[in-house]
Amino acid sequence: MELSYIKKIIRLLENSNVDELEIEEEGKKIRVARNRQSTANFGFPASAPMSYASGAAQHLPAAAESKPAAPTKTEKQYHEVRSPIVGTFYRSPSPDADVYAEVGQQVKAGQVLCIVEAMKLMNEIECDADGTLMQVMVENGKPVEYNQVLFLIDKG
Amino acid sequence: MFKKILIANRGEIALRVIRAAREMGIKTVAVYSLADRDSLHVRFADEAVCIGPPPSKESYLNIPRLMAAAEVTNADAIHPGYGFLSENSGFADICAASGLIFIGPSASAIAKMGDKALAKETMRKAGVPVVPGSDGLVADLNQAKKITEQTNFPIIIKATAGGGGRGMRIVREISELENAFQTASHEAETAFANSAVYIEKYIEEPRHVEIQVMGDRYGTVVHYGERDCTVQRRHQKLVEESPSPAITQEIRDAMGEAAVKGAQSVNYLGAGTIEFLLDKDKKFYFMEMNTRIQVEHTVTEEVYNVDLLKMQIEVAAGAKLKKVMARPQWHVIECRINAEDPNHDFRPSPGKITTLHFPSGFGVRVDTHAYDGYEIPSNYDSLIAKLIVRSKTREEACEKMFHALEEFVVEGIKTTIPFHKKLMRNETFRSGKFDTSFVENFDFKEKPQQG
Repeated sequence: MELSYIKKIIRLLENSNVDELEIEEEGKKIRVARNRQSTANFGFPASAPMSYASGAAQHLPAAAESKPAAPTKTEKQYHEVRSPIVGTFYRSPSPDADVYAEVGQQVKAGQVLCIVEAMKLMNEIECDADGTLMQVMVENGKPVEYNQVLFLIDKG
Repeated sequence: MFKKILIANRGEIALRVIRAAREMGIKTVAVYSLADRDSLHVRFADEAVCIGPPPSKESYLNIPRLMAAAEVTNADAIHPGYGFLSENSGFADICAASGLIFIGPSASAIAKMGDKALAKETMRKAGVPVVPGSDGLVADLNQAKKITEQTNFPIIIKATAGGGGRGMRIVREISELENAFQTASHEAETAFANSAVYIEKYIEEPRHVEIQVMGDRYGTVVHYGERDCTVQRRHQKLVEESPSPAITQEIRDAMGEAAVKGAQSVNYLGAGTIEFLLDKDKKFYFMEMNTRIQVEHTVTEEVYNVDLLKMQIEVAAGAKLKKVMARPQWHVIECRINAEDPNHDFRPSPGKITTLHFPSGFGVRVDTHAYDGYEIPSNYDSLIAKLIVRSKTREEACEKMFHALEEFVVEGIKTTIPFHKKLMRNETFRSGKFDTSFVENFDFKEKPQQG
């Protein structure tokens, strides 16, 4: 199947009320499902009752809503910087500015790592450990909830 | 109609709102504290946002976090449930200012009815019978003394910002007045940050009978009859029933009419309850108004076959109410199953429910957020389930409730089920003739050999 064909199917789905679409032809099959996470969904699908369409989230093709990269195996050793509030996550102070911190950069406790905006108020979120910024766990512009992991820091 | 409702609450009422919204095709957003991560309302909502650590102040009562959650999920309405911020006029105001529809009455109606002394005055002006007493707040002991000369003992001193039985003192003779006045004010200051009190005649042998009202945006208010909530312990309701065994259709009509008048006088929108005290001569007096959906809304739903949660949402969205003839067709009883130990002064019994089985069947309804393996957090109220039965007569309903309670299995924690079973087979309860002092005098402790 060509990428342009797949893109067409995804657009079709997005512009309709259909939640899931499966097409099979000439021995090839494609299944595209609506990811509720594309509408700022914080859901915990893993623990939801089985009848829930949240299961569909696992069938998403890569071209649709991109999710944050899966945490690496060693993530448990890293220090987690968590959000103290609910809001929208931004990596830089403004759209044109540089990000507060790059992956691989040395960071210090007290240093601003990001903004979580809520109701037009820009809340600067500070790092609470010294070390190397290993991973950014949230995509820029995405909503975050209380206690959600924002960054992984290697304290060395 | 709303596209998405954020439920600013938890537990069984959050689940109830989610059920109503789902049936209406409305998306739901659950908010939760870290203690409620595994709660059913979180699992059954379309979306869920963690808003804070376990303490209510930092989660369910935290307005900035609630508003941020509504913002990031694009909710267009908020359902406040009961308790928490449901009767907080500031919260209703903030919702309005943020372009969110607060599913409930206006901020001003909430404020008016939330101030007990002001509420009483408002009702009196609307022609609703009120308990005789002080005209508003009592400034000092001297004023209190003067009032008792008119009202006569016994009287009760009540905190204007109070609730749940706190900041109240009964006074039977003049010698008790000074001490009672000081301690009531002090308790009110501590519990509600407001020491202001008012005085009322203390109604002896009262029954608590409340009227369910519903108002729309066009000035129409209807009522769905009464609920008798006389079975109370320390002013906490344990059992509710409808119809009240103490009233006739005539009294129902009169109370309903008074309640409607009272609600209309504050342009009431949505679901509300007007609580009355019924004295031994069947005269009724306004006590207070609850400007929210109540725990026991289920009783009214079963008696009158009406979905009150859906109706709340519909009127908030602009639906017009039709006239209602409150003629009960069934007898309905509800028992609140709390995680409390009735043998040890009803002390809370949080912990893990290791086995759970609810009764079911014809005329049996269970509203709950509990499930097998659920860990009850210790941070919130102890209500874990509401058991509601419906039958043709009161006698049958009591028996049906007894059998439903027998089938109700909860292991791992203590519950009030044994208390309710005793109650259903108690002669006085069965007679329907009792007042609010009944539970205080009810001997329900489990004797060692009995099961």
